[in-house]
Amino acid sequence: MTDALVLNDVHKSYGNREAVHGITLSVREGEIFGLLGHNGAGKTTTLRMISTLLQITSGSIQVYGYDVATQPEKVREVISYLPEDAGAYKDLTGRAYLEFISKFYTTGEEQKEMVRRGIELADLGDRIDSKVDTYSKGMMRRLLIARAVMPSPKLAIMDEVTSGLDVINAYEIREVIRSIARNGVTVIMSSHNMFEVEMLCDRVGMIDQGNLILLGTPEELKERFGAKNLEEVFVRAVRGS
Amino acid sequence: MSHLTNIVRKELKELLTPGSVLSVMAMVVLFAMLGGLVGGEVEKAKVLPAIALVDDANGETTLPDGTHWSLYSTVAKIYSGSIPEGKSIDDYVVRLTSTDLPDGSLDRAALQAKIQEKGINSAIIVPDEFSELIQGKKQAYLEQMYLYEAEGMFGSSPSIMASTVVGSLGTSLSYSLLVGVVGAEDYGFYSSPIKTGSGTMVNGKYVEDVTPSEISSQVSSQTMMVPIVIMIIIMMVGSIVISSMGSEKENKTLETLLTLPIKRTTIVTGKIVAAAIVGLVYGLAYMVGMSFYMNALTSEITSGVKLEDVGLGFDGPDYALLLLSMFLSIVCALGICMILGAFAKNYKSAQTMTMPLSILAMIPAFVIMFSGWYGSSPIIQGILFAIPFSHPMIAMQALMYNDYTLVLSGIAYMAAFAVVAIMVTVRLYSSDILITGLGQNRTYQRLTGKKR
Repeated sequence: MTDALVLNDVHKSYGNREAVHGITLSVREGEIFGLLGHNGAGKTTTLRMISTLLQITSGSIQVYGYDVATQPEKVREVISYLPEDAGAYKDLTGRAYLEFISKFYTTGEEQKEMVRRGIELADLGDRIDSKVDTYSKGMMRRLLIARAVMPSPKLAIMDEVTSGLDVINAYEIREVIRSIARNGVTVIMSSHNMFEVEMLCDRVGMIDQGNLILLGTPEELKERFGAKNLEEVFVRAVRGS
Repeated sequence: MSHLTNIVRKELKELLTPGSVLSVMAMVVLFAMLGGLVGGEVEKAKVLPAIALVDDANGETTLPDGTHWSLYSTVAKIYSGSIPEGKSIDDYVVRLTSTDLPDGSLDRAALQAKIQEKGINSAIIVPDEFSELIQGKKQAYLEQMYLYEAEGMFGSSPSIMASTVVGSLGTSLSYSLLVGVVGAEDYGFYSSPIKTGSGTMVNGKYVEDVTPSEISSQVSSQTMMVPIVIMIIIMMVGSIVISSMGSEKENKTLETLLTLPIKRTTIVTGKIVAAAIVGLVYGLAYMVGMSFYMNALTSEITSGVKLEDVGLGFDGPDYALLLLSMFLSIVCALGICMILGAFAKNYKSAQTMTMPLSILAMIPAFVIMFSGWYGSSPIIQGILFAIPFSHPMIAMQALMYNDYTLVLSGIAYMAAFAVVAIMVTVRLYSSDILITGLGQNRTYQRLTGKKR
């Protein structure tokens, strides 16, 4: 299995403050990789660097062989980023929003097919033709997941993808993520919901104060710390670090 | 469909909402209504005003040569050429009698009541001794009495009419008196032994019977609209672009947009093109509305000088240069807005950021309207030149005076300004500032001494 994503000694500074201290990790193709950590740990900054939104202070990131710093446009062709609390254009309907996004990826019949796939993934019924500003948080999240997944990216980057959602919506979104991974899409997602990550991810990386403190499969980490779940692993790792 | 077209269409859908289009339409209607109101005032002012003649038959005079001169008949003659069909002289010249107070002075309150009853607001009062003084070759006195009423912008027209009538009465009486002395043939010479003429050099061309003030008032009426419209367009377009950026950040759509497989230059250009289209649509709507207003306002109050006749008119290339200047000023404004918008945290902060742009648009508009480019000091001219939005306003005046060096240098300056602004914008769109804001920027932290 080849590496879809490689981070090599990645640093990120905001002014004089270093938010990410030399993270090195790799994500394999078709894998669901979870970044764990509490608020402000550096998860979002790391995902934003992978997504070409933030410049890397030092180190390098490769996405399917493309360098994020020198080939950002190539990277953007193979990724799909879903930010935390992302929104859609309020004056557009759900369908118009998916159409708008799809036109950046393809044209003609392929584009229509992409929109059909997006509508199916969003599963909003008649409400797909309602204005986005009438959507509930769950509906909005489903639309955005559909937006992120419909272009069939090679790497899906999802930041706190189920945060603030009810049980049913969160469950359905996790099902979508499992399904796309089965179809070969690599997923890197951040969360501070340890149980969600444990259920969903093949491997996890734990970040604390900008440092990658743990890396492995949930089973490996639980075994190493003699813990019942990832939450215990995280607490023990943070207290011990 | 290209990515640029896709972005432009999306931006237009967002910007040209029914609400925003309706507000612009309402503005056009408002200006048209203002124009209607002004036009109504102009029409009112054009109606021949009636006057009251309080003469008590005192204006019937036998002149020294034995001929008879009637003040009423003379007034009637002055009016006769202007009375509309179906109306008579009695509708316009209303003869009234006066009453005296016990001390012998004129009872003005009673006279006011009579005048008001007739719906008139100016009167010519002929004193008892008028005829006697004229006969005795002594200067007589005629009083014009006006009723002041809070009227519209042309409320002074009835008083102008009364003054005209009194002036004509003097001329008529002077003629009647002089004809008896020097004869009708020599009257012309005696009444006006010197003939005068005037003319003005404009743009190296001598134009007869035109004074600088007449030209100036006509130039002002022609050039006033451009600064106002440019100011409105800049402020409106600025608000649109900065708010669009603020909304993108507030609705958290910017991060998604920036990670789509499109170039940053396409995003920047898409936003600029869409805002420019909307700006032009709004600008045209405002121009249509303003033209209703300005036409109504200036049709009657400006001099009859045609700028084309005095060499100050515009021809085809002049209009092309003016349009180019306007277009470049809008692009410059959009460039500045995109830079300001990059720092907007949300929709609300975006609204605040339009302030510097509004000030930059207002300064040249007011300076050009009140002092003009050529009437400003070199320092003010320097400031105006540095503000890119000044140039279409300056061009309007400069083109009249064939000052192509100024117009073309303004165009070159704006083109350079726009290129730099767009380059800075694209650089900002590729930097962290768009996502993290200024607070996380190292240079900003160093300058402000803030550390986070």
